[in-house]
Amino acid sequence: MKSTLKAAIICSSLVPCILMPAHGADLRMSWWGGESRHIATQEALTACGAKHGHTIAPEFTGFSGYLEKLTTQMAGGTEADILQVNWPWLPLFSRTGTGFADLRDLSDQIDLTQYSDKDLASVTVQGHVQGIPVSTSGRVFFFNKTTLDAAGLTAPTTWEEFFTAAQELRAQKGDDYQLFNAVSESAQLLVQLAVTQKTGKDMVDPETNRVAWTVDELAAGLLFYQRMVDSGAIQSRKDEAAEGNVKLYEKTSWSQGQIGGSYEWNTTYFKFSDPLAEGQVLDSYPMVRFADAKTDGVYRKPSMLLSISKNSDNQDAAAQILNCLMNEPEGITALGVTRGLPASAVAMSALEGAGLIEPQLRKAHDIMMNSTGPAVSPFNEHPELRGVFIDTMEEYSYAMIDAQEAAEIIIDSANDVLSQFDPS
Amino acid sequence: MTRSRFLGLGYLAPYIVGLVIFTMIPFVGSFYLSFTDYNLMDAPRWTGLKNYIELFTSDRTFRKSLSVTLIYVFTTVPLKLAFALFIAYILNYKLRFINVFRTAFYVPSILGGSIAIAVLWRYIFASEGLVNMVLVSLGIEPVNWFGDPTNALLTISLLRCWQFGSAMVIFLAALQSVDKSLYEAAEIDGASKFTSFVFITIPLITPVIFFNLIMQMVQAFQEFNGPYIITQGGPLKSTYLLPLYIYDEAFRRFDMGYASAIAWVLFIIIMALTLVAFWSSKKWVYYAGDKRS
Repeated sequence: MKSTLKAAIICSSLVPCILMPAHGADLRMSWWGGESRHIATQEALTACGAKHGHTIAPEFTGFSGYLEKLTTQMAGGTEADILQVNWPWLPLFSRTGTGFADLRDLSDQIDLTQYSDKDLASVTVQGHVQGIPVSTSGRVFFFNKTTLDAAGLTAPTTWEEFFTAAQELRAQKGDDYQLFNAVSESAQLLVQLAVTQKTGKDMVDPETNRVAWTVDELAAGLLFYQRMVDSGAIQSRKDEAAEGNVKLYEKTSWSQGQIGGSYEWNTTYFKFSDPLAEGQVLDSYPMVRFADAKTDGVYRKPSMLLSISKNSDNQDAAAQILNCLMNEPEGITALGVTRGLPASAVAMSALEGAGLIEPQLRKAHDIMMNSTGPAVSPFNEHPELRGVFIDTMEEYSYAMIDAQEAAEIIIDSANDVLSQFDPS
Repeated sequence: MTRSRFLGLGYLAPYIVGLVIFTMIPFVGSFYLSFTDYNLMDAPRWTGLKNYIELFTSDRTFRKSLSVTLIYVFTTVPLKLAFALFIAYILNYKLRFINVFRTAFYVPSILGGSIAIAVLWRYIFASEGLVNMVLVSLGIEPVNWFGDPTNALLTISLLRCWQFGSAMVIFLAALQSVDKSLYEAAEIDGASKFTSFVFITIPLITPVIFFNLIMQMVQAFQEFNGPYIITQGGPLKSTYLLPLYIYDEAFRRFDMGYASAIAWVLFIIIMALTLVAFWSSKKWVYYAGDKRS
């Protein structure tokens, strides 16, 4: 009798676990971002959690260090249920399409019809949908209109106009002024832009998964960068280091309009316009091109994806929340454009209808979407490949090696990295 | 007796559990990983001595990083010890508000390792920072502290030297324990302050100098925050200390096996230098009451 009673108690305590629907789950979500994204996402999680009856613990940080944290968690199987993942990291975490939960298996909870086939293809690995594409982002040209106007200049449309404007700006306003900013990642992407415009090719050949450029083509790109330094259009690597590698939007010279522009992600417009002194106006402009460019060379890619952990005990609940964040009014309204203009059709239409898309963001987005360029490989941003590119550019900037040697080192090292991903 | 032994072990248990989980297991684990190819996502693959062979035969970055680390340690540690001893010597005088000064000089050690101080350091030594402003006001040419590879390591060393407080406090305690009658006898014999310092103070505090030397050397080999925040290892890897290289290999290039191999080489270097210091201590460290001395 006693043992029967004990068994009944145990069974009755287990029944709710077995029959428990995707309600009342305790979830975690991790992301990177700035202050506005942190606040908006927490609001969205509260709203979506209340709607679906789940509790979601937020785990947020800046971009710096997020990859390291995520990697450690993924290695230990302790990652959050819902994860923000940078698109170029897909080959790192899900080489065979099994790094995250396949969202097709959760399509009764997530409305995948809101996304274009192209967007879904970009987050699909070997037939497995590894996340929801959040938005598309790309590099665009921002110029300080006030600075240009004060010097009687217009934003350049060709690189020759660019160099003339750089010279004119210094002649008019003094040597404290420079037309443009390019350091570290931005400098690397400017070199890539120049080579892509000349060759019409992305750095990584999608067919062979090797560097698509020849040594001479890349060396020409590096010489183009050096011309920018020599002409005073941008600051040298050494001078940037002397300033303590301060971020552009933290520089006084940027806020005072002494730096005329930069080549930045379209979604970061307000990060760069907010610090400007009162009266200064930042605007987005079409891609600056070579006269004989084969393409605009825009560096455009899915910005990030929201994935569900394959180790999550509550994948259905996580999928409900994910769908709410991206496709339901509570999430859409709270998140706004804090992750760029949404890829979700219903979210885009809701935000446009409510007038929640700032015209400056819309303009930068349209320029990026309307510019031409080859498809960008996620391997462009492989940490090791990017590290080699930037380190070698630094050696070149300090005149330790010439452009030809630098190009050879970059291509050889990049091919070494890419070969690690050859099918075994 | 047995009961009290178990009680003792019980008291020690929290420490032992922490030591085993957070130190011993990772220690042994990293030794195993150093012989593998491990990218964190797939299971480790045994590769034998490959990582070590690569380190010593074809890795230019390792050689550069190792030489930068050794230069950093061999300049920073003596500088810091000398500075700490100098300040401790001054603070050993009976001055007004001496406790305020002692506290003020110790504060950098509490703040020094923090991210905020590293960021502050970046602004102080920037091209238009405080240091260059002072230099210019004295009619001296400003210095490119972070942009010039020869100066960048010095700025990182100065940050470590600035955190001299803990070494200073230990020196101060040692100075206060020196028998005053020795100084009085020396003074009667006509010895100057400097002579007393060299021939009385220094020999009597050699055990503390030795202790501080070992502690500071080990800490200097593990320096991470300063170069990570201020220079990110640049320019041209002139501040790329081995802990930064280990971090990059492990968490940016996802080569945990290779990172473990570098960590073990660093461990062996620290161990070897510590053993050399212990061996040499027999010739220069004086322990009062030790018959061998």
